[in-house]
Amino acid sequence: MMIIMKPGSTQVELEHVLDHIRENGLTPHLSIGEDHTVIGAIGDTHAIPTALFEVLDGVESVIRISQPYKLASRQFHPKNSIFPLDGFNVGGDEIAIIAGPCSVESREQLLDTAQAVRSAGAHALRGGVFKPRTSPYTFQGLGEDGLELVAEARQLTGMPVVVEITSITQLDIMLKYVDVFQIGARNMQNFALLSEIGKTQTPVLLKRGMSATIEELLMASEYILSGGNQRVILCERGIRTFETATRNTTDINAIPVLKALTHLPVILDPSHSTGHADYVTAIARAAIAAGADGLIVEVHPDPAHALSDGRQSLKPEKFVELVKQVGQIAEVIGRKLAPLATTEATQTHTSKGI
Amino acid sequence: MLIIMHPAASKEQIENVLAAIERQNLTAHLIQGVEQTVIGAVGDSHSIGKEVFEILPGVAAVTRISQPYKLASRQFHPKNSIFPLDGFSIGGEEIAIIAGPCSVESREQLLQTALAVRQAGANALRGGVFKPRTSPYVFQGLGEEGLEYLAEAREQTGMPVIAEVMSVAQVELMVKYVDVLQVGARNMQNFSLLRAIGETRIPVLLKRGMSATIEELLMASEYILSGGNQRVMLCERGIRTFEIATRNTTDINAIPVLKSLTHLPVLLDPSHSTGFSEFVASVAKAGVAAGADGLIIEVHNDPANALSDGRQSLTPEKFAVLVKQVKAVAEAVERRLAPIVH
Repeated sequence: MMIIMKPGSTQVELEHVLDHIRENGLTPHLSIGEDHTVIGAIGDTHAIPTALFEVLDGVESVIRISQPYKLASRQFHPKNSIFPLDGFNVGGDEIAIIAGPCSVESREQLLDTAQAVRSAGAHALRGGVFKPRTSPYTFQGLGEDGLELVAEARQLTGMPVVVEITSITQLDIMLKYVDVFQIGARNMQNFALLSEIGKTQTPVLLKRGMSATIEELLMASEYILSGGNQRVILCERGIRTFETATRNTTDINAIPVLKALTHLPVILDPSHSTGHADYVTAIARAAIAAGADGLIVEVHPDPAHALSDGRQSLKPEKFVELVKQVGQIAEVIGRKLAPLATTEATQTHTSKGI
Repeated sequence: MLIIMHPAASKEQIENVLAAIERQNLTAHLIQGVEQTVIGAVGDSHSIGKEVFEILPGVAAVTRISQPYKLASRQFHPKNSIFPLDGFSIGGEEIAIIAGPCSVESREQLLQTALAVRQAGANALRGGVFKPRTSPYVFQGLGEEGLEYLAEAREQTGMPVIAEVMSVAQVELMVKYVDVLQVGARNMQNFSLLRAIGETRIPVLLKRGMSATIEELLMASEYILSGGNQRVMLCERGIRTFEIATRNTTDINAIPVLKSLTHLPVLLDPSHSTGFSEFVASVAKAGVAAGADGLIIEVHNDPANALSDGRQSLTPEKFAVLVKQVKAVAEAVERRLAPIVH
């Protein structure tokens, strides 16, 4: 940490800062410039907030040099983390595609979509049952009934299922049904939820908050990792900017930046990051070209009648085309789509919670 | 245009709005809801400002339905505009790569970089001679001397050259030397400059302002197009957001959005949109995968000693790798790199 003193700061103030540095188990390194005195605080500072020094008299500003995250960092774990899910890996050479409806709406809708995305090449099924909708007056999800349907789709297709958890109170019931927890953008900094999920051993798909920096996303992952749950997948889903032509702005830079900073798998959600079905495929290709480890894509058999996110949901036919195009991009950058487990593997697999 | 009246708007206020619509030669279409009245103003409204109606008493909001741009729109010109430059074309199936230093610093630096990028597969050379730097105390560019070097690089390599024009006063000089005029992000809404360039017949690379919406970029292009200069290329170069891990945030959505809204060629500048050389190749590939018609990339023979943008400049070796990777992605989306003419 670098502590920059105000130009007129006194010797007493300086001594006080130096003492404070030592008290926190760090070693001070003084450099006296023409206008400013700068003090380096050397040691493991990741658990020391900058505010500790900012409040001291005579201090102008404090700059953090080392990363405030540790378990998520590539420095700590240089190799990519690769997590096996049912029949495929996330984070290695293979690219995984998660697809399904925004919300589970009915048995027929879910099973139709699940089979369609499976035969199009999806590796895992998404489907929300507890929906964090902007308006409390719109469809809020099927709840536990939806989980039963998700379990049925899982058994029918062999695909592991990814479902969003929006509250700690849902944890016990969700654990019985889902293979991967999703933490939605609105809950990225629901620290109580993150901590609880950190105590489970269920893989987590952690979405970036819509106004969260890349560093804040990594810090959120740290809440889960530090609880002992090592299987965290990060997901860029678009950020809030001044641009209104799209629902969000896909921060495509986040893909190579995250891949450089962390060993955790990084995937992109082009459905939310664009908000328009017309643009999903182009951005899905871009993500893979930029180095993403996977995609999560909203697919609905009848987008015009979807209870949520219809505007950004692909029809199964369009999704087939997306998988094909993404496969071509994966190949030219020396990767490949994750293989689909065979039907046999599907049948020998025993579903959870049924 | 849709004019939404306040729930409490009086009959008189509605009559007043209807009269205003007629004065603009539009046809009013009244929709009486349970709580609010909505009035559709039907007709060619692209040259009518929303303010005309917003200021009227009783009006809650005015929503524009049709696009405020015309010449740039795909509706007006459904097919892609394809512009031939020296030896290649831009906007068609071919993907063009423009490369070179941020600034022309010296004859040696420019010629070395030009030859290197040419060899690596660049189609055109970039190099700034008038530099819009944030600080007035740092290197501002070589001016006309730099243009001379660009002309020499052009002759040696056969590449068309592109340089940024910052003011109306520079237009006359620049057109003698350059093949493509660049309008930088900071000048995207320098409307007098746009108009002056619209009077020329030199192709233009128009960069998106760092806080400009896609619609504002298209409106800026309209200033040039409406002057009679049809050869405008649009360039996404990253926008200003809250994220500080990168210099700008590449709005990759802008690529497919622009391709659907306009017939003009769309390029990406991954150097400025990321600000870090280590992320340029990934985002360049993403640009082409998303449907961009070309790239503009900063390359410097010695980035550590560059007078500007060293942090985001690629070495010629790294650039050669980028071209190879972009070529593979282009082929995966059924396009190809523009040929190099010898």
